[in-house]
Amino acid sequence: MSVSFQEPVPEAVRLSPRLLLIDPIRVLPSLLIPLAGVLVAGGFSPRSFIWAAFGVAGSVLYAVVRWATFSYTITGGRLELSRAFIGRSTRVIPLERIRGVDVTTPFLHRLLGLAVLKLDTGAGGDKQEGELDGITVEEAERLRAVLLARHGVATQEEREQPVAAPHDHVFLRAPKAWLRYGPLSGAFLFTPFALVAGVVGLAFQWGGELGLDEDDAVAVGSWLWGHPLLLIGGAVALVVLMPFLGAAMYAVFNWNFVLFGRGDHLVAERGLVNRRVVSLERRRIRGYEIAESPLERQAGVARLWAVVTGLGDSETRGQLLPVAPRAAVDDIAAEAVGPFSEALRPHPPAARRRRLFRAIAPWAVSALVLYVLGHTIIGVIATVLAVAGIALGLDRYRSLGHTYDGTRLSVRSGSLRRAQAVVERRAVVGWTIRQTWFQRRAGLVTVIAGVGAGSGGYKAIDAGETQAAAFAAEVTPDWMAPFLKR
Amino acid sequence: MRDALRDPANQVSPRARSLWFAEAVIVTVLLVGGLVLLSMWMTGWEFLPQWLLDRTWVAGLVLGLVTVPFVLAEPVVRFAVHRWELAADVVYARSGWLSREWVFVPVSRIQTVDKAQGWLERFFGLATVEIRTASYAGSSTIKGLDYEVAARLAEELSRRAQELRDDAT
Repeated sequence: MSVSFQEPVPEAVRLSPRLLLIDPIRVLPSLLIPLAGVLVAGGFSPRSFIWAAFGVAGSVLYAVVRWATFSYTITGGRLELSRAFIGRSTRVIPLERIRGVDVTTPFLHRLLGLAVLKLDTGAGGDKQEGELDGITVEEAERLRAVLLARHGVATQEEREQPVAAPHDHVFLRAPKAWLRYGPLSGAFLFTPFALVAGVVGLAFQWGGELGLDEDDAVAVGSWLWGHPLLLIGGAVALVVLMPFLGAAMYAVFNWNFVLFGRGDHLVAERGLVNRRVVSLERRRIRGYEIAESPLERQAGVARLWAVVTGLGDSETRGQLLPVAPRAAVDDIAAEAVGPFSEALRPHPPAARRRRLFRAIAPWAVSALVLYVLGHTIIGVIATVLAVAGIALGLDRYRSLGHTYDGTRLSVRSGSLRRAQAVVERRAVVGWTIRQTWFQRRAGLVTVIAGVGAGSGGYKAIDAGETQAAAFAAEVTPDWMAPFLKR
Repeated sequence: MRDALRDPANQVSPRARSLWFAEAVIVTVLLVGGLVLLSMWMTGWEFLPQWLLDRTWVAGLVLGLVTVPFVLAEPVVRFAVHRWELAADVVYARSGWLSREWVFVPVSRIQTVDKAQGWLERFFGLATVEIRTASYAGSSTIKGLDYEVAARLAEELSRRAQELRDDAT
């Protein structure tokens, strides 16, 4: 007895009519410029207002027609999404293909009690995936239960439990104090610059409509150039703002992060304005990836993702934790995937030379060229970067490593973003060994474990030739043995 | 990698050398031709030295002279490097020229096997076998096979893949 029969969905259902309040608002920004253009070009005459009104009415009408012509049905183990607008299209998604359900509530949706439900079908591309944008939150919860209860055939007793049992088991509720680790990841630190870039971009985009042109931009630029104190002050302000704005942005995205189990799913919920809920099917989790920046390593915190088969956009969806203390990361990794404590094997010394060369040489060469050309100040900066390259190269070499503990393999690389992946052996679908001309001179190769999950391949960079072949043979002896030289 | 891995058993078709040569020649002709066309504009580029502006055809000539050794070497080197083998239900293929690539794809993890033939390949009676798994790093493309060999390999691989299909991933 499956849930979909207890709660039948007999006929085609439309999205919530409340969506009609949101849709026109959503298209408004893209209409703004044409509308303003019509009004300005028409000299704000009554006729131009009529045209503008036509535009607005048209967008409302469009939203109504879109709403009226779209419906979804669950019948006979399939979800059918049909749209009969100009053409008629029906997308059929077999329920057993649905691997995960992702419910988000953007700001406007949340005001009206609506949600967006995205289906993960493991098709890889975005095109194949289904989306129900604008159903009520209750309907989203109900659909989630119906859609996901379908294919966990093995777990009979779960079926008998009330489906909407909200939080089966909370693995972790991130304390507010963890939000202070956010800026350490680096990505959010650039928030102030991104905001300035956004404003400048908007100014250029809208400037034309407001009668500004390139000459004005040049004038503004040269005026700023003539007031260096203002420029420097602005730059300092942006730099000072970095940690604060970064922290604020991070907090908005990761507010009240909760990771809990529901049936055979791991569910991660986060966000202040947009509350984002991602469910990952546990039996599709094949491993995890841990990433740390140098600052995060200093603070003893890290980021954690699950490696899931057939999960598109795994960088955002696979996230299991916000930036969290290393102990919590290891706990959750062990809980979601399994404990892994095998030490990494280092790569040969030739790899250290290569890392150092690659970190130093480009800056050293450009410094030299700059000195020769007489650009001393920029040359000094390049020299400093070249010297910093020594530390960077050494740290990159220290990061390199690979290992195998009998069920899971692990590879690690990087310095500014040091990433270690731990992947189950059964997820490996093949091996690629690559050797560039330079690597051949150094007797090194990059061995890539092909994995039908996550990013698709996990690399052990600059391993020794024999070491690489032995690693592949250790993980999958049956496949490699016939081709090894004894 | 000589100490670690043995060579795959089979060479590709000797006609593959002609294919790689033809491809290299076409690319070179396009590059040099493009540069010659570009050099017609160059007369107006004042930041270039005068002697070059006087004879802009030199650029095309230099590019041609630089690429000729590569055009001659590439087919020979590729023919030595490109080898393949199907043993113990694993496809083992080696490819590359300046860089090398060794790929191991177990038949049990193959999702699709394609046999492809471009117009140039058709001219030389060659074909390419494309083997895909769920990962780019477990996927292999074997170029320069004799058409008959490619057809038989693709046929055999898809038959075995169906028998062995393992959906653990």
